[in-house]
Amino acid sequence: MKLLSWLRSLTKRTKFESEMDAELRFHIESYAGDLKQAGVRPDEALRRARLEFGNIESQKEDCRASLGLRLWDELRADLNYGARMLRQSPGFTSVAIVSLALGIGANTAIFTVASSVLYRTIAVPDSSRLRMLNWVQHPKSKIGPSWGIFGRNSLGETTGSPFPYPLYLDLRKHLPVIEDLAAFKDTPRLTANAGNGAESIDGELVSGNFYQALGAKVIAGRPINDADEAINAPPVAVISDAYWSGRFDRSADVLGKTIKVNLLPVTIVGVNAPEFHGAKICCNPQIFLPITLNPTLDPDPRGSIISNANFWWVCLIGRLKPNISPAAAQIAAETEFHRSLRATMPEKPVAEFPGLLLVAGDRGLDTQTQMFARPLHLLLGASGLVLLIACVNLANLLLARGSARQREIGVRLALGAGRLRIFRQALTESMLLAVLGGLAGLAIGYAGHNFLPTLFEESWHASTLENQFDWKVFAFAAAITLLTGLIFGIVPALRLNTGNANSALKETRRMSLTSASALFGQSLVVVQIALSVLVLVGAGLFVHTLANLRSLPIGFNPQRILLFDLDPPHNHFAGAARIALFRRIEEKLSALSGIQSATLSSEPLLADSMDNNCVRPTGQPPGKPGQDSPFTNNVGERFFETLEIPIIAGRSFNWHDNQHAPRVAIANRKLVQKFFPNSGALGKTVSFCEATDPPIEIVGIAADARYANIDQDAPPTLYLPYLQQDDAWDVTFEIKTAASTESVVKLIRTALDSVDRDLPILDIRTQNQQIDAALTEQRMFASLTSGFGLLALLLAGIGIYGIMAYNVSRRTNEIGIRMALGAQASAVLTMVLREAWLLAILGTVAGIAAALVVTRLLANELFGIKPNDPATYCAAGLLLLAIALLAGAIPARRAASIDPCNALRHE
Amino acid sequence: MGKHLDLLQGTLDMLILKAVSLGPLHGYGILLRIQQISREQLEIQQGSLYPALYRLEHQGWIAADWGESENKRKAKFYRLTAAGKRQLQKETANWDRMADVIGGILRTLPEEI
Repeated sequence: MKLLSWLRSLTKRTKFESEMDAELRFHIESYAGDLKQAGVRPDEALRRARLEFGNIESQKEDCRASLGLRLWDELRADLNYGARMLRQSPGFTSVAIVSLALGIGANTAIFTVASSVLYRTIAVPDSSRLRMLNWVQHPKSKIGPSWGIFGRNSLGETTGSPFPYPLYLDLRKHLPVIEDLAAFKDTPRLTANAGNGAESIDGELVSGNFYQALGAKVIAGRPINDADEAINAPPVAVISDAYWSGRFDRSADVLGKTIKVNLLPVTIVGVNAPEFHGAKICCNPQIFLPITLNPTLDPDPRGSIISNANFWWVCLIGRLKPNISPAAAQIAAETEFHRSLRATMPEKPVAEFPGLLLVAGDRGLDTQTQMFARPLHLLLGASGLVLLIACVNLANLLLARGSARQREIGVRLALGAGRLRIFRQALTESMLLAVLGGLAGLAIGYAGHNFLPTLFEESWHASTLENQFDWKVFAFAAAITLLTGLIFGIVPALRLNTGNANSALKETRRMSLTSASALFGQSLVVVQIALSVLVLVGAGLFVHTLANLRSLPIGFNPQRILLFDLDPPHNHFAGAARIALFRRIEEKLSALSGIQSATLSSEPLLADSMDNNCVRPTGQPPGKPGQDSPFTNNVGERFFETLEIPIIAGRSFNWHDNQHAPRVAIANRKLVQKFFPNSGALGKTVSFCEATDPPIEIVGIAADARYANIDQDAPPTLYLPYLQQDDAWDVTFEIKTAASTESVVKLIRTALDSVDRDLPILDIRTQNQQIDAALTEQRMFASLTSGFGLLALLLAGIGIYGIMAYNVSRRTNEIGIRMALGAQASAVLTMVLREAWLLAILGTVAGIAAALVVTRLLANELFGIKPNDPATYCAAGLLLLAIALLAGAIPARRAASIDPCNALRHE
Repeated sequence: MGKHLDLLQGTLDMLILKAVSLGPLHGYGILLRIQQISREQLEIQQGSLYPALYRLEHQGWIAADWGESENKRKAKFYRLTAAGKRQLQKETANWDRMADVIGGILRTLPEEI
């Protein structure tokens, strides 16, 4: 009722005002009429009626106040007045809005990424009750061969999420504390053909109860159910909403359609809700399949992992039953896990069972936190620092302006304005600035949230970082906007209010800034410079790190090398057939015109992937652990030629080195030094530790080339001809070409189609892009902190300029007197500059001290440079001093050019 | 003009409600009605009448309509709403109790203590 009448009077303001007017007029005129009837003269009657009625305007005010309109009116007046003040000084206003916008924008963009990467949960109802099962390997316990994600707990014990499938089946029946235990496994890089060409898609294998246990919904058809999980059930799939749009145009007849997945015909039975991306939080798999299809889709030569009780690979998730304490659930689950281990393990249990942990499952299998939490928090810290600098800067500028407004405030106080009212007015102005900056910042954040993920991800992958510009982001932007408005507005608003009406009116401008508030402004500048030095030092360290990494000698030539991967389905290409397929493709590609040379390798270089094998010189007894494990790479005959790795002794591989020829290998220099330190290696043989194969002769020695990581020296490496291996996994082709990527990809596609139409080309990228991807984090740090550093530098310049310019205008009178008494312009210049210098030096020293402490946190992110690198500190300090000099020079010159006559008349 | 009584703090609202409970009135009419009922003993500050009217309307105890006054002019007439009627009853009961209690205290003789 009250709200309604308030709103009504607010929205129909003109009507309200005119009615109030008419009502009061009616009152006065009626009264005057009565007075006339009592015999008063007409003009006298009206005068008396008015007089007795009292001040009409103040009564109207009271009427408005009784409806709660007054606060609103005052706010509007404040806003109007604030807007007018801001319009009057467009320079100040634009500096304020732009610096706030950049600060708020950077924070918003990074928060957007952080909120979707770090805080997104599985999109199912009541996800907080979800738990994942993790095992903990105690010193004496043993986990069999496994495939999955591992970590370490605080005691340094290995923990992991994969479990054997038979164990899962047993636990699902017996685990008392979980409502319904479901299993899943991500299975990336499936080859799918929906009738219009082969493509690579990601999949998730799920147990039959997965959808029901999680409460995940399908928007069409049905979810995967228990019947689908039975071995030999007809293969079915549920597809993602995105795949439905992208591949099937959201057509309704997708249900019942059969597509080929790794050449296996699979019937689509349902479509996931758009927000559901499976139980691995990083990814957005296109297809969900029953877990029992694994042996058919991706056969393992060692046998089916579905029936293997000692192969650990499926992840387990379920809802904790209500009304069970976490501790009790934990104990019950571990007991059941041990019982189940005893029941299903083929070998007799070892000395100690692994432990079991119920961990939070609302983010499912979470690889994102580990990868992105540190860099994102670091960036949030850096952007928060920049925003803080912007706030300090604005507070300072407002303070200077506030002192200039003492007189205005004095007049207002003298006219009867309340102190609260003046405080509110000042704060309204700051808030107005903050809101304008926040709006612009939101726009910048929106632009940035699409750009940021490109810094995080490999350029040839479709983005998996899903950024939602949602209400959380708006709430965050609104919160930091209000906070910044308060931070930079409250001190100037309080300062503004300390004046006394009398003295403010009496005193002239030059006297109005008390020494205390000048000191306060100066210390704000010092703080600002110190923070800027901190950001600059961080930026310098990251830029150095990136440059150090880029200039490392990698031992091969990455220029003009195009890479792509092939991973033909194992159920169709295995063993000798797989090798033969690769050989055919290698030959086809080599024959193409426009390609200088083509080769392949089991491991791409500098891609964080490696193959470690136990190999030692033939006949030598086992050495210390780790000593016998060189990195191996199975390569094509033109590998060294294509990548320009020099062969320094012996020969390279040639087409004679095939499966029928004696086995050969090429060792790099590091391996030669390790295996044959005292004698020539050529002609010597090495053997795989566990194998009974014939020894492998070393026919060549290659120069050292880095292998998996750019920041690690070339490891001892053994190159083997892929043609002499029994089998292969996925391979990477390396193509040296001068032609453009697009034209070459077309050539490659045609060449591949002539071999097999069902082979999707995976991950097309250049070797340089591959190297860039390894430097993603460093590049992101370097570019973002440099941007922040520049911003901080700019703000510091503005801050120094602002306070100096204000000081000079404040001291115009004093400087005039000095000059009238004979001071030289140069002396005045020095006097003003000295102040700027003093502030800059104090700030720089404080900043360097702070940086010495804070940058220790960055030690892990740096390469080839210490967190206390003197050169970086010097450069940052000098840069700021230079900016300070420059920013101080303009007001100093103005002071030096003051004309004493003018300055004294000025008063 | 005889000697007027000043209005007790907080009683104006109650008097306005009572005045309009007898029939719709415009602001000036309310003023006259209160003075008339009080036999000219109460003087209402004209300055406080309209803020009080707006406050009561805002609280939903009285409602206003534009109508024609006795001398054929447009005027804003206030009438009591149902909520206002309840409020008036409440305030009247409160007032009676308060008057009894205060009166009782003031009439107390020394020997009654």
